[in-house]
Amino acid sequence: MPAITQYVFNGVVTGGILALPAVAFSLTWRLLRFPNFAVSTYLTVGAYAALALNVGLRASLELAWVGAVVVTAVTALAVDRIAFRPMRGRRPFSLAIASIGVAFVLENVVRFVWGNDFRSYDVPVTRAMLIAGLRVGREQLLIFAVAIALMALAQTFLVRTRLGIAMRATADNAGLAAVKGVPTERVVAAATLGGGALAGGAGVFLGLDASIDPLMGGSVIISVFAAAILGGIGSGPGAFVGALIVGIVEEVGTLVVPPTYKTAIGFVIILAVLLVRPTGLAGARS
Amino acid sequence: MTISRRDFVKASGAAGFALAAPALLAAQSKEPIAVGTLCPLTGAGGSYGPDMQRAVVAVVERINRAGGIQGRPIQLFHEDDQTSAEAGVRAARKLIDVNKVVAIVSTWASAVTLAVRPLCVEARVFLIGVSGADAVTQGDHRGYVARTQPNTNTQGRMYARFAASKKEWKRIAYMALQTPYAQSFGEAFTGAVKAAGATITDSLIYEDKKPSYRSEVTRVLGTNPDLIMLGGYTPDSVVMVKDLYRAAYKGAILGPSFAINAKFIEGVGPDVAEGVWNMDRAPLFDSPAYKEFVAAVPGGDQSPYAPQAWDHMTLVALALAAGKGEVSGTVIKDQLRAVANPPGAVVYSFADGAKHLAEGKKINYEGASGACDFDQIGDILSAPFIVQQVRKGKNERVTVINP
Repeated sequence: MPAITQYVFNGVVTGGILALPAVAFSLTWRLLRFPNFAVSTYLTVGAYAALALNVGLRASLELAWVGAVVVTAVTALAVDRIAFRPMRGRRPFSLAIASIGVAFVLENVVRFVWGNDFRSYDVPVTRAMLIAGLRVGREQLLIFAVAIALMALAQTFLVRTRLGIAMRATADNAGLAAVKGVPTERVVAAATLGGGALAGGAGVFLGLDASIDPLMGGSVIISVFAAAILGGIGSGPGAFVGALIVGIVEEVGTLVVPPTYKTAIGFVIILAVLLVRPTGLAGARS
Repeated sequence: MTISRRDFVKASGAAGFALAAPALLAAQSKEPIAVGTLCPLTGAGGSYGPDMQRAVVAVVERINRAGGIQGRPIQLFHEDDQTSAEAGVRAARKLIDVNKVVAIVSTWASAVTLAVRPLCVEARVFLIGVSGADAVTQGDHRGYVARTQPNTNTQGRMYARFAASKKEWKRIAYMALQTPYAQSFGEAFTGAVKAAGATITDSLIYEDKKPSYRSEVTRVLGTNPDLIMLGGYTPDSVVMVKDLYRAAYKGAILGPSFAINAKFIEGVGPDVAEGVWNMDRAPLFDSPAYKEFVAAVPGGDQSPYAPQAWDHMTLVALALAAGKGEVSGTVIKDQLRAVANPPGAVVYSFADGAKHLAEGKKINYEGASGACDFDQIGDILSAPFIVQQVRKGKNERVTVINP
């Protein structure tokens, strides 16, 4: 049997991809106080935007990735303006349902334009390198490095910049922040753009790692949700660590349970966290 | 050239009737025997149905030219199942109630065959098609249902026979998508492989729609297989084969041709697809029945199902001819194995078979699609398979495995 370290490494890469939408999901929840299930569909939007640039316009995948990040961020902002802004202040439940509706609409737009078939980017598949007995794929290494860099960037933004601080203030107490002169709508717009960008970038990674189809985002929603809950809703670093743990447990879990139960592992994590530590790893306050 | 479905149905019905007419005149008072076709002329099976229907029409033309069933010609009624269970049921009702058919031949989709099955059993109409799902012949159908597409057990054994023929494949792993047939196919395949002396190193069922199969691949490659037998559809096979390539797997890969197709090669790229083996149900290329079929149905050699449709109609007619004057669905189901299975004189066409039957001899029909020997529940006992390999971005025929 291969060493367990290979499974842990596989899990770290999977976790790296999950971390980006998990952070986006977690931050929107903190700021707007509802679970935005449309985040998973932003992955699909990002993947297809990059496909259009890479295969349609023959752009390099790097360029297509940047394009996908921009397109998805703008899509997220448009969705917020059209669907969520008119509903601000409603109960979280209503907004959660609205987000599921948005996910359906976006998914079907993608189906309408590109069809139901799966697609692939125009990049060659490369053999993995052998590093200290570990099989390490070039794409996987790159994906993980970019994910880490984006996480660091997001965290620096939140802690160091005026807009980031305003964002955290609004998240803590929207009413008080507004009274103190924080432009709440601008803060929400910035967070929405950022969340969309993270999810869109992750979508390209997912498409590169596996293949692109209209249901790809929906297939990871349970894992993303589990990562955000495990990390503690509203915490960026928490969601990141949560995603790594979910990724590792899912992969190492295949040693113990049949691989057909991979998705069930996400559910078990959600259940366990809610029972044992409802605030999650980083969630001291709620 | 484009022909609308309606025109096609009309034209082929008219052709069948026109060709039946001389025999009808010869038979004078003898009333025609009604048989229905229920092929998918539109919908997902729309690329297969028209060829199947043409094969049936060509066979009926030959049957009627040979004098029909004890002088009675066969009259065809064509319906389109639209590859939909609901449309199929409506069409079958019309064939049974209005046209009074004794048999419905050449259904395609399993969903349609399963939906039409109870109507046929109840009305004692014989039903024969190309549907692959195990459920088609399972349960109580009192013998009124048969098919020429091999069940998962037969398929598993045929894949195993090819795998065992390659002496360099000593260690074999099975990886399959979670589907209703993954288990039964896997059991037949791994069982037959082991019986042939190879080792099954791992047997793993994986979940659909996962972002990667790295850990599944890690587990299976940990067992050092020479061959990985993949049982899935195209989308998951793409992800799986990419992950196998990334993990530096250098051994062989075998899968079903419906998954390892042009779309698959496009999905993984020609470099990764190079050398991947795949298998599909084939006709009996050397059989005189197949040669007659190819001559009678231009373009039919491109269809995996048209040779089976050819055999459906021939079998129905031979079973009726063995019925000594009585004509019904019950006669067909009672006589099917008597005319299709050994022992008996081997015959390759209706004319040949009818001659032997008239002399009171037992016959064994060998068809265009295979030996056409049926077991008790209506499944065929064997079928030839074609083996292909991806070479320079294209699937190429390598060999044919005859049972």
